[in-house]
Amino acid sequence: MAGQFNPDLHEDLRRFGARDLDMCMNCGTCTSICPMSEDAGGGFPRRVIRLVQTGRQKRLEASLDPWLCYYCGDCTLNCPRDANPAEVMMASRRYLTARYDFTGLASLFYRSVWAELAAIGLVGLLVTGLFVFLHGPVVLNHVALNTFAPVKWVERGDWIMAAILSFFLLAGAARMAWWTLGGPAMRRISPAIYLRQVPAFFVQLFSQNRWRRCGTHRSVVRWMKHLLLVSGYLSMLTLVLILLRWFQTDHVYPFYYPQRLWGYYATAALLYPTGDFIVSRFRRKEPIHMFSEASDWIFLIMLFLTALTGILVNVFRVNGFPLATYVVYIIHLSIAVPMLVVEVPFSKWSHIMYRPLSIYLAGVKQAAAEGKLLAVRDAEPVAG
Amino acid sequence: MDATDQSYAENRGAEPAGQPRVGVYICRCGGNISDVVDAEHAAEICWHIPGVVVSKVHTFMCSDPGQQSIIDDIHGEKLDRIVVASCSPFLHELTFRGAAIRGNLNPYLYEHVNIREQCSWVHKHDPQGATAKAIALIGAAVGKVRQSRPLEKIRLNNRRRALVVGGGPAGMKAAADLAGTGLPVLLVERTGRLGGKLVSPQSLFPTGIGSTQILEKLESDVRSTGRVEVLLESEISRVKGFIGNFDVTIRGPLGPSGALTDVDVSVGVIVMATGFQPYVPHDGEFLFNRHPGVITTVDFQEALACAPEGKRLVVNGREIRRAAFIHCVGSRQIEGVHEPGPDGRLNKHCSRVCCTTVLNQAIQVRRRFADTRVYDIYQDIRAYGRGHERYYSEASRAGVIFLRYHGDERPLVSAAEDQSVHVSFKDYLSWGETIDLDVDLLVLAVGMTPGPCGRIVDQLKLPRGEDGFLQEIHPKLRPVEISVNGVLLAGTAQAPMNLQESLAAAGAAAVKARAMLVKEQVELNPYVARVNTQRCEGSGECIGQCEYDGALTMVEESPGVRRARVNPGLCIGCGACVAVCPNSAIDINGWRVEQYDAMVDGLVLQNQPA
Repeated sequence: MAGQFNPDLHEDLRRFGARDLDMCMNCGTCTSICPMSEDAGGGFPRRVIRLVQTGRQKRLEASLDPWLCYYCGDCTLNCPRDANPAEVMMASRRYLTARYDFTGLASLFYRSVWAELAAIGLVGLLVTGLFVFLHGPVVLNHVALNTFAPVKWVERGDWIMAAILSFFLLAGAARMAWWTLGGPAMRRISPAIYLRQVPAFFVQLFSQNRWRRCGTHRSVVRWMKHLLLVSGYLSMLTLVLILLRWFQTDHVYPFYYPQRLWGYYATAALLYPTGDFIVSRFRRKEPIHMFSEASDWIFLIMLFLTALTGILVNVFRVNGFPLATYVVYIIHLSIAVPMLVVEVPFSKWSHIMYRPLSIYLAGVKQAAAEGKLLAVRDAEPVAG
Repeated sequence: MDATDQSYAENRGAEPAGQPRVGVYICRCGGNISDVVDAEHAAEICWHIPGVVVSKVHTFMCSDPGQQSIIDDIHGEKLDRIVVASCSPFLHELTFRGAAIRGNLNPYLYEHVNIREQCSWVHKHDPQGATAKAIALIGAAVGKVRQSRPLEKIRLNNRRRALVVGGGPAGMKAAADLAGTGLPVLLVERTGRLGGKLVSPQSLFPTGIGSTQILEKLESDVRSTGRVEVLLESEISRVKGFIGNFDVTIRGPLGPSGALTDVDVSVGVIVMATGFQPYVPHDGEFLFNRHPGVITTVDFQEALACAPEGKRLVVNGREIRRAAFIHCVGSRQIEGVHEPGPDGRLNKHCSRVCCTTVLNQAIQVRRRFADTRVYDIYQDIRAYGRGHERYYSEASRAGVIFLRYHGDERPLVSAAEDQSVHVSFKDYLSWGETIDLDVDLLVLAVGMTPGPCGRIVDQLKLPRGEDGFLQEIHPKLRPVEISVNGVLLAGTAQAPMNLQESLAAAGAAAVKARAMLVKEQVELNPYVARVNTQRCEGSGECIGQCEYDGALTMVEESPGVRRARVNPGLCIGCGACVAVCPNSAIDINGWRVEQYDAMVDGLVLQNQPA
């Protein structure tokens, strides 16, 4: 039936960054050059490109392929028609992120930079407002951050935010799993298979080891930088979500104390890669950084500013500048909170969930197909 | 005055007095020949052949010194017959005839022996055999040339007027160009107006110019010189003759406008611009003629031209939400897959224009009707011309969805509910996945098939290629000439072409035609039949054998005396008449029976005991 086609899909993807797709004549050079093609069942990445070209939206939504690409850019460098296949894969990831999100906010943010900026601004103002109106006593003769912003309350705010973010992110993950495993067909897969693949999720989350096999174009260096960034991000997440009472103190510990060392490590691991990526995107030399959408810039800049303001809070606190500490602390949270609220469930940061989940789901599909529980190729996607 | 100083003009045509004096020249061809054939030995032997007074070897006979040695010997040794044993006559026969002319010798007193292709190249493992064969062939040539008589090219008056058959764009262009050179032209068109397929309005690739505009320009070019006589509703009912001298009967008017009359004209050249026929699908092929939603690109062109503007395309009152094109309908047909046409022939050729036609139409649909979706089901996109590829890119950009089928797995078309057409096929760009499409309009991209060129093809025995189109002599070196001298090809009568190529071919044909008519006389080969009037008793056997209409006729010279007469313009010198004449009264100039006898004698000469 013609229902299998959505002729507007191509146009939709264009809004997510796939601008040169119409140049593609399906020669397959991208597939032959791609080092990931074989373990993605062949036809990768052209299969995704073809789905977009022919407008098979449901099939694209049921595909894990976009998440198995780590953007080495070899396909784009070798494309004889300059159709930019790597960017099509990138656009597909943006598109899928938007589709997994049931609220429609992700779609809105990806397609409108102003909507995303407005959302960030709004949440930022809300955070600023909360501090302006609800902050504790302002002690000016020494730094008393926990008096100004009691760690108990900040921690509660943290947890509320984490709960909300997790809810949206998990909802997206559920939709991803439902579509890619063929909806009701999921029930026919034995729980053992689901359980056995769980380690793969965490291995990928902490190591991104699949990335190392991607491409010829300085991938290992990039993978290491990204790994550093992830370690910094996860460190910081641990420090502010789980160990905040230990981390946010008024007492200044000696330099070698783990609280400070870990914090400095996390800051450096955030600042260096983000700064490096910003410069690289600006220079447009590496394939992955040649084409930047607003969402890419916002993500990097917000992350960089969060780390920068975070370390400034520390500088002022350690050197005993009470007012500067409080003001920068408000600024820090007015950047960090909207970044997390907007980016994690509704934008680029969601890949922290979808990347490892795609490895997990691919493993489940593979195992199920081998056990003939699910005919992977023929799995008809359900409406989403 | 010394005999050697006589001019060629005085000398030629005169029978050489006394015994013929033959010069034999053997070429080494830089080793090509002499590495196998013992040229020196052969030259030595040739001294003993009767009539030979010069026998020489040269490394390159075709070089200037080689040719000069012939000329020198014609003067010095008083040679009156020349034999050169070298390469194929296709390569250098005319070279050495030229040398003979420069030596004031009649060029037909020259014989060419091929001892390269026929001796050294094919017998390179048998040098002795090759040498013996070369000597035998030279012996035959010497025997023949001793019997040769001086010949002259046949010169006939040129009728300096051109006939262009077919008033489509190619015919109009050829007529206009010919008239532009000052020649009177007769343009014959079967229908009631000039223009051919351009008459229906359409946007032409690759420029996007409207057909009407092109047609207006062509029409004004045809009329502006005042030298083109246009005969509409007319056809060629009879044609005979040869280059420079065609007798043509034109019948018209074919329409209801009057009584049929025949007009006789005589012209020097004929330009065939009879065009093509669009392929008409079989009844039921892809539901053609069975479903209102299935039409050809030809019909769609018109539908598109008169479709009202709007969100969606409307064709024959039906609103089109989805349209699909199928490429290669009636082109690139495969035995066992496609049904042959009424003539039992498959159209195996690629029609070349349909791909870009589809792209052009698809773009127009997408640009004009935002809510009409277009699917393009193709085998290969052959957008080969300058600027055509842009159409592919533009169609992609306009959201046309391309799907690729294999030629031996034709899309299956069936009628769906709600008046739509169901198309099912495997898309080989999606790894052979079966695609099922419901469309409101299915456009069949029909190709070009050979046009009916009329009686002229049979009457002049014009050759057709395997694809049924008129066939040129050489696809690269003589692309607008056909094997019948004086007939030229213009446009799609020859092969599928787009308008640009068709007009280019027409222009080339016009120039060729002009070159043929530039002289007062046409020159023809002298190798034609000649009747010995002393011997001919008018048995008529020869006429019964002659395959070439008008080449031989029986003429009553005086009451009761009937003799055969040759029309040298039509005779091709095949010799069928010679074989059947009971009185041996007919012969071929340059290939007389005595010459054959002498050749046989010459062949066996070296094998006779000394």
